[in-house]
Amino acid sequence: MRIVIAGAGEVGLHLAKLLSRENLDVVLVDSNDDVLSEVENNYNLIAITGNPTSFDTLKNAGVAEADLFLAVTPYETRNIVACTIASSLGAKKTVARIDNFEYLSNESRKHFKSMGVDDLIYPEKLACEEVFAAMRHTWARSWFELHDGALILIAVKLRDNASILNRKLYELTSNSNLFHIAAIKRHNHTIIPRGNDEVLQGDIVYFTTTPEYVEGIREICGKEQVNVKNIIILGGSRIAIRIADTVGDNVKIKLIEKDREKSYRLVEKMRNVTIIQGDARDEELLSEVGIADTDMFIALSDSSETNILACLTAKQMGVPRTVAEVEDIQYITVAENLNIGTVINKKLIAASHIFQLLLDADSSNAKCLALADAEVVELIAKPGSKITRRPIKELNLPSDMTLGGVIHDGVGTIVSGNTVIQENDHVLVFCLDTALSKLDRWFG
Amino acid sequence: MNKIHIGIILRVLGILLCFEALFMFIPTIVSFFYQEPDRWAFLISSIVTLAIGGTLAYRLRNCRQPMGRRDGILLGTVVWIVFALMGMLPFLSICNSFTDAIFETVSAATTTGASIFKNIDYLPHGILLWRSILQWIGGIGIILFTVAVLPMLNHRGGMILLSTEVSGIGQYKLSPRINQTAMKLWLCYFIFTVILCMLLYAGPMTFFDAVCHSLSTMATGGFSTHNESIGYFHSAYIDYVITIFTFIGGINFAIIYRTVMSDHTFIFRTEQVKWYTNLIIVCTIVFTIGLYTQGTYGSIEQSFRNALFQVCSVITSTGFSTCNTLDWGPFYSLIMLMLMFFGACAGSTSGGAKIDRMVILTKNARNEFNRVLYPNVIRPVLYNGKALSHETVSKILAFTIMYVIVWIMGAVILTLQGANMGEAVYGSLSALSNMGIGIGSDAGGFYSDISLGAKWTLMSLMIIGRLEVFTAIIIFMPLFWKKS
Repeated sequence: MRIVIAGAGEVGLHLAKLLSRENLDVVLVDSNDDVLSEVENNYNLIAITGNPTSFDTLKNAGVAEADLFLAVTPYETRNIVACTIASSLGAKKTVARIDNFEYLSNESRKHFKSMGVDDLIYPEKLACEEVFAAMRHTWARSWFELHDGALILIAVKLRDNASILNRKLYELTSNSNLFHIAAIKRHNHTIIPRGNDEVLQGDIVYFTTTPEYVEGIREICGKEQVNVKNIIILGGSRIAIRIADTVGDNVKIKLIEKDREKSYRLVEKMRNVTIIQGDARDEELLSEVGIADTDMFIALSDSSETNILACLTAKQMGVPRTVAEVEDIQYITVAENLNIGTVINKKLIAASHIFQLLLDADSSNAKCLALADAEVVELIAKPGSKITRRPIKELNLPSDMTLGGVIHDGVGTIVSGNTVIQENDHVLVFCLDTALSKLDRWFG
Repeated sequence: MNKIHIGIILRVLGILLCFEALFMFIPTIVSFFYQEPDRWAFLISSIVTLAIGGTLAYRLRNCRQPMGRRDGILLGTVVWIVFALMGMLPFLSICNSFTDAIFETVSAATTTGASIFKNIDYLPHGILLWRSILQWIGGIGIILFTVAVLPMLNHRGGMILLSTEVSGIGQYKLSPRINQTAMKLWLCYFIFTVILCMLLYAGPMTFFDAVCHSLSTMATGGFSTHNESIGYFHSAYIDYVITIFTFIGGINFAIIYRTVMSDHTFIFRTEQVKWYTNLIIVCTIVFTIGLYTQGTYGSIEQSFRNALFQVCSVITSTGFSTCNTLDWGPFYSLIMLMLMFFGACAGSTSGGAKIDRMVILTKNARNEFNRVLYPNVIRPVLYNGKALSHETVSKILAFTIMYVIVWIMGAVILTLQGANMGEAVYGSLSALSNMGIGIGSDAGGFYSDISLGAKWTLMSLMIIGRLEVFTAIIIFMPLFWKKS
């Protein structure tokens, strides 16, 4: 499968790097030579220097044979033009990144389709969805539902009030088989735990479970479900406007914006939101705004540093849940280690969304989640594959992978030693990077 | 991050040895076919190589760490040494010493073509074929072949590994994935070899000679099956065919592939090919006129043919000869020394410092003159229509300086072993540029009479030259092993 990516900005680069590790032919087009030569030397892809809206460049990039053309430069008009050219040259499917919400409406989509732009990516909308997910499950770091929620993958950061601290895994699961601890992220490393491992304070633990036992996990982790009623948003960005538009009447939003002029314009756009002008890093201002009663603090200003700092301040002042937009990719790990509940990055979200689109096309396996050095994959056990032959405890699975759960006929169950995987079951597999290549042997 | 992963290095090494063993079975079959006395040596050698390679590859099959930069560089150099150690096994049966056997192998694998055999006319067929096969594999590179067929190397590690073997400035990606690029290059190489073989067989050559010569011509190696090299055949047809294919062997295969497959005028637009061709034309004209007027050859055609053949043979570092060029005089020897230093295009099978680098340096020098008068004018080096960055130019400058230093150091060491100045300077560059012809007792590429120390010196020079200096030398630097 040949994929042409126009634009080696952060989205383009991130995607190109991700995709080049799969078995895909990746061509990256950009006019900046310096960035390209660096990527080309280090990744398994071909880079072509040139303007992404030039016919010659796109022909050179082999757009005619491309199965997918992604236009992800920072400019939406350029992306749309590039897509129209690409589809006229013969690209099978084109995707453009846009910055305008109204383009997503059905009529506009039809119009763009007639121009040759098959799909649109609007990172702000995706970011907004991410914020809502964080709002629904305030106690979890990440939340992933498989097969309409038949199985749920939850990541939780453990604090000193969790009841499962310092206990061996076999003690935790011996009397019940309601959840499975599939992975532990400790000091930036991912561990696939065995029965003798313990969970420690500060670990991020990945549970797989079925919907009935979600509450149980919350309790053993010592977390409280917060019903989000009051939100403070920092920065009147497009994401903020989207959130205010879609959140509904039950939630009260206060928005802090630094710029006076902009605040006036925001009032026009966001009628049900209280707009406050000031600097959100200022503790006095925050307590004046009523931070004490706030359930969630969302920092969406242009500056990643401001967002991180403001979230830390809010956390200190007792806000249970914080979300920071961090657009500088270098800061993401730092922000995560600083106990900011959710870190959102529009570029990474857009990239992983496109990646998901791609994998959906190839339905035999789908990646759910990529951690720093591990992956979570949903696989279908092929008829006659090695994994279906014996109960799991007799299979001798490699130690760098574990099965999180099985979905059989749409019903999710947690895997125990006695489980036998049936043909065509969907299996949720956690594996370290070293084990990725072994997966085929078990499921193929 | 900086740890060296011995497991994965040994594993890839094992797989490479398995490939070598497969290639070794070819001369084994040939020597059984001719019922030659060394057939058992061949069989044992192939089996030993296969056993070692297979054991390493099988025992370490679970080593799957990603290969880092250091692993790639270390492996890139070690491969050549291990490859030579295994490749020499068949030679042990007929060589006088271990040094001779390994010299022959290194000389073959680096496509140098210097031989320790005094009389190759009487060598068994198996050995002659093995020498040519070694050159052929070494010419385009054992790693390239492996990357093409091994999915395991189809990622970043494979790219690093390949970049140790292919000249740094000659890399063009033909396809997004490294294995496709490698496969295309390899196919290009293979097809040219087959065409050449058929053309030679159509002339006055036996099939065996045609195979051996086509293998060593495409690799720009220079091993012949006769003492008089190509001169043995006394055929103008053979001379011209070989000349044309050494010329092709000196062009970047990626450029050829692109020209043939898609962009049919590409080859005429690339600067390195233009300079390469022009240099050959100018030198040939000078040589033809010179040789004709000084009366070395009777006819102008003969002068032209010998001149062209020799110029192509030297600039591509092949080292075939149709006559004794020492008779021509020192002027020609010095011009040839210069051509040998220049070499042909990067990304080809030829040796030398590569014409691409020379063109860039010449342009840079011209710009420096300009800067003397107009210090504020921006004048980057334009190469194939692209402005090169200062880093690129300084990398090339550093390479050239290192290349000259290694050359001179090599010559100095050779004089310690008893060579005179001319022999040392010429021999050292000849080994470094993987050419193989000297001007002293080693004139025809025969190195049997030189001392033990000199052989080891030349061998090191060959490997350093083949790996383009930096890769080979960096692993001896503390910097490489230090944790940063």
